[in-house]
Amino acid sequence: MLNYIWAGLIVVSFAFALYYDGRDLARDTYANGHALGVQVAFPDGYDAEARGQDVEARFDPVAFQALYDVEADTAAFPAELIRTDEGTQLRWAADAELPEPLATVATHTNPRDEVLQGETAAFGAVPAGARVVRTAVRFEPVRFVKLQAISGAALEFATTAAELAIGLIGVLALFLGLLRIAEAAGIIGAMARVVEPLLRPLFPDIPKGHPAYSLIVMNLAANVMGLGNAATPFGIKAMEELQKLNPEKSTATNPMVMLLVMNTASVQLVPPVLLIALMGLQINQLIFAIILATGLSLVIAVTLAKLFERIPRFRASDPARLKGGAAPADFE
Amino acid sequence: MDLFRDTLGILSVFVLPLLLVGFPLYGLYKRVPVYESFVGGAREGFDVAVRIIPYLVAILFAIAMFRASGAMDAFVGVLGPITSLIGIPGEVLPMAILRPLTGSGSAALVADMIQQYGEDSILVKMAATMYGSSETTFYVLAVYFGAVSVTKTRHAVPVGLLADMAGFIISVYVVTWLFG
Repeated sequence: MLNYIWAGLIVVSFAFALYYDGRDLARDTYANGHALGVQVAFPDGYDAEARGQDVEARFDPVAFQALYDVEADTAAFPAELIRTDEGTQLRWAADAELPEPLATVATHTNPRDEVLQGETAAFGAVPAGARVVRTAVRFEPVRFVKLQAISGAALEFATTAAELAIGLIGVLALFLGLLRIAEAAGIIGAMARVVEPLLRPLFPDIPKGHPAYSLIVMNLAANVMGLGNAATPFGIKAMEELQKLNPEKSTATNPMVMLLVMNTASVQLVPPVLLIALMGLQINQLIFAIILATGLSLVIAVTLAKLFERIPRFRASDPARLKGGAAPADFE
Repeated sequence: MDLFRDTLGILSVFVLPLLLVGFPLYGLYKRVPVYESFVGGAREGFDVAVRIIPYLVAILFAIAMFRASGAMDAFVGVLGPITSLIGIPGEVLPMAILRPLTGSGSAALVADMIQQYGEDSILVKMAATMYGSSETTFYVLAVYFGAVSVTKTRHAVPVGLLADMAGFIISVYVVTWLFG
């Protein structure tokens, strides 16, 4: 299943990127090679000698509409007129909120600082001291925006993934260290005996008195309290305990799947910090709705997990059955 | 409701200090070499984090490509008219698609919708309820199964996604019922 979803995401991304880029080429969305009429205002008058001059640039609305076929934005943006040996260039300010598709042109042709920059028609005939000059700007051609975007995103998120995992080290170490003490002190074993009757219906494959029971409870309790940082190490440790019972190490067992879906459904009675930050006081109105939705979806997740276990496909791939015979009924 | 929330809030503040202090203290009482035990357990933290990396990279880069390709807009365009038939507005559909895939992305979407529709709007309430009532399924999958190197996930993905979907539909209906 995951194989197909994973490959599907990649293939679909590529197909859509190709489609969008092809459409852009066919429609000439970025009007590659065409010059756009721009009105340049010189606050201090045009200076033929200056290498760089601060100006205000305004797109010609008629030309804008004709080129890009979108509603024109006629606001004036601060820009700089730069003269080089190759010609005269107009460089928009970095904080200018450019209309589409020019914002894309900017990020695409100038990925480093995302500034819109283009070659202007010659200023040779313009008299010194002129206040307003009409000219035309030609931008670098823009092609294959989406294809470049998907490769860029893939590279960026590969880094993000490693950073996320590395960022977990500290918290994982803290809680796995505490758990080792709890194990040695017999807390885990004692807790397992207490909670086992409650969890047994959901995790019938875990032997009696197994430490996985208490780790699962700690994982679920931390989730309920909104302590995601603590929930992850507990959950991972619970998975490790379940893996010890697993005769087929690369395949998930029924209790592993159950624990996973209980975590993805996530019963959080305390809303996530990020949501509180975003919604402010409004969150108070939503607490009841969130608890109801999360509770019901947990019930659905547990029910579905129990039902899916019985589907022949998944029953056949159950490691406990594969190796003939489930784990021993009594752990101790 | 307020009392319930306060109790829970206070509880969740006390749980962590209790764990941090309680475990070592009880360990001492049981004559466990607490410091050595802690360090021994903590050493696993590094191994676990490193073990997760390939799984996270695999999941996150594929999802990032999917988002960057613009495929999601197309899906919303196709699915929107269908879901609005059963009372789910097309505007919250991106949330339903994004939530299981990325946590930061769906949080950004809530922020974006607040900007666009305002905090009071029912659409934002629906999206926020969807966000708050669910987890980033594929992230949890990568971390939990990655930590034990499980690659054959059996029914975990279909069950996780179906439960997410059910949660989203319930979110929409509950918000409609409460505020609609």
